[in-house]
Amino acid sequence: MIEIKNLKKVYGGAVVVNVQELNINKGESVGLVGNNGAGKTTMFRMMLDLIRPDAGHVSSNGENVAGHENWKNYTASYLDEGFLIDYLTPEEYFYFIGSLHQQSRAHVDDFMAGLTDFFNGEILKKGKYIRDLSKGNQCKVGVASCLLQGPELLMLDEPFANIDPSTQFRLKSILKDINKNRGVTTLISSHDLNHITDVCDRVLLMEKGKIIKDIATSSSTLNELEQYFGVGQIAPGNAAEREQR
Amino acid sequence: MTSTFLRHELKAFWRSKNTGKSIAVRIVMGLLILYFLAIVSVIGFGLDKFLEKAAGKDMMITYCGIILLYYLTDLFSRLQLQDLPTLRVQPYLQLPVKRNSLVRYLAFTALFSVFNLWPFLLFVPFVFKVIAPVSGGLAAIAFIASIAGLTVFNNYLALYLKRKANLNGWIFLVAAAVIILIGLSDFLWHIFSIRNFSYLFFGNLIHYPVLAIVPVILGAAMYYLNFLYLKDNLYLEELGSRKVARYKNSTDYPLLNHFGNIGDLVGNELKLIFRNKRSRSAFIMGLFIMFYGLIFYTNPKMSGEGYKVFVSMFMTGIFIINYGQFMYSWQASHFDGLLVSKVNFVDFLKAKYLLFTIISTLFLLLTTPYVYFGWKTLVIEIIMYMWNIGVNTTIVLFFANRNYKRMDLSRGAAFNWEGIGSNQWILSLPLLITPFLIYGPLALLHQANTGLALLGLIGLTGVLTRGFWINKLAADFYNKRYTIAEGFRNK
Repeated sequence: MIEIKNLKKVYGGAVVVNVQELNINKGESVGLVGNNGAGKTTMFRMMLDLIRPDAGHVSSNGENVAGHENWKNYTASYLDEGFLIDYLTPEEYFYFIGSLHQQSRAHVDDFMAGLTDFFNGEILKKGKYIRDLSKGNQCKVGVASCLLQGPELLMLDEPFANIDPSTQFRLKSILKDINKNRGVTTLISSHDLNHITDVCDRVLLMEKGKIIKDIATSSSTLNELEQYFGVGQIAPGNAAEREQR
Repeated sequence: MTSTFLRHELKAFWRSKNTGKSIAVRIVMGLLILYFLAIVSVIGFGLDKFLEKAAGKDMMITYCGIILLYYLTDLFSRLQLQDLPTLRVQPYLQLPVKRNSLVRYLAFTALFSVFNLWPFLLFVPFVFKVIAPVSGGLAAIAFIASIAGLTVFNNYLALYLKRKANLNGWIFLVAAAVIILIGLSDFLWHIFSIRNFSYLFFGNLIHYPVLAIVPVILGAAMYYLNFLYLKDNLYLEELGSRKVARYKNSTDYPLLNHFGNIGDLVGNELKLIFRNKRSRSAFIMGLFIMFYGLIFYTNPKMSGEGYKVFVSMFMTGIFIINYGQFMYSWQASHFDGLLVSKVNFVDFLKAKYLLFTIISTLFLLLTTPYVYFGWKTLVIEIIMYMWNIGVNTTIVLFFANRNYKRMDLSRGAAFNWEGIGSNQWILSLPLLITPFLIYGPLALLHQANTGLALLGLIGLTGVLTRGFWINKLAADFYNKRYTIAEGFRNK
């Protein structure tokens, strides 16, 4: 579904992204992990044609994303609040996104009714503009608008970062559901290793712009990642805990 | 502390994405200021001669009479032109920086405005040349102190009103209307005379220099009022969120549904305009400009057709100029979202055209009563309306493709002061001048009607060939979109 070749982005002499080759197949659920500055968001932005690559290209369904717009028909993404029109109410925003995909208001209302649990009564009919919502609730709006588009490819950048634990669990089950039951290809970045190994079948580890590990998730993946990120050394509390086990 | 703030602001200026454009604006600004300073100095140093010629022996009465009159017009032009000093205070609020020093900085830097130089250049030479030799040094000092006091008073009054107006655009309208009414009740209705009132004060000042304390106190009081206002409002953000928010209804513009996706986009943008203070001010400003007709057309000296061309363009096109020149910064905070969404850029541009057309048409309809000043006034208005929606719209959007500066609409408007000021007008100069490049020469050759016809024709051609321009702009945008999006991401 997605093919990246020699993708490179340099900012002021520093290589931010340098991915030789990456293929993501239809129906895969891919997680992206890496420390701050590893280049995750920059890579996402290049995949969404928001930043011009210095070299290489990203193609989606065999077509270069830069210069074409077909990918917009089946790709839904939420990277940050910059994706939301913040002076609209959530309802107005959903209707707008729905109308871009030729969905009637009744259809949008129906769809949103199905997300009642996920929203936890914080989004709809609250009489607030999106800009007046908390970051976590804005994230819910972003994710919901992605789901509304019924995408074949879903890209989320750190969706777990600002939402409460209950919503994190609900989001995880939604992501698993659309991937397993509806064949949606998902690409998710996160700093939470537990969540990412739980949701994704394949985990990519980025460091200084390069993908240094590409692992199929198994029972040892979480350990492997924790090893890399050095949980033991940085948080002695955790290490003690593990020794007890 | 003040020097630190200054250094930070300089850095903000030089490191901004738009430095090139800002420098160009500053240079044009600087040249204009020098030009006006030169004119004002010539008038100031020759004032005694001019007044002698005009009023003879009564020169003192006339001089004293015009001072307050000057300050009234000064206030009016300050309201429209003076820039508010900007400093993004938020990053300093939680630091061990005294609130008072923040506020003092904001209040003090406001004094560095050319507007504060003009009255001195205009009135002080006369004080030295005429008043000092005749009435003595003390009277001269009293005059200078009064002028300084009134200047400071005007400075802070204008800033206070502008700050208030940024929160509520209607305040600007009311203030401007009050000033116009004061002017009209003197010159048109003769209810009272500002000149007599001014003479009453300044005439007595010669004999009782102590009176100078009145304007000085006024100035100090106005400064203090500003100081308090600013200090109070350092909390505004917090106050704003604590306030019980009114239930925000979802709105719908059924008329726009006929335009499909483009209508949706226009609907969104209308919501943007009416739900954000700053864009709302740009709109209300347009309503205010509609009074220009009253100012110009009632004045026999300024009701020539050349003026009508100017005023008509302004009245029907002010929104295009005022709102359009900040495009697409209005949408900076969700620009990434627009780029990845299914919005086709040609549709995006068509929506802009439709928006401008709708609002210009509204302003045209609202100004039709000016037909009272002759049917040709209306004809000129319609011609300039065509020009605005045919030509100016395209120019504005051409520059919008080159605007990379992020604008944060969601931030409280109290500290978002980049709105209405002289810098903004400079950017609109090309828009204001172009029609005169066509009309002016023809009018000089006594072919004014040909000029008007030509303007109308070009405007109409612009409207009819919109499709062509939209494609050109879309292609241009396509090359610039990465830069625009990057600039908008740059907080």
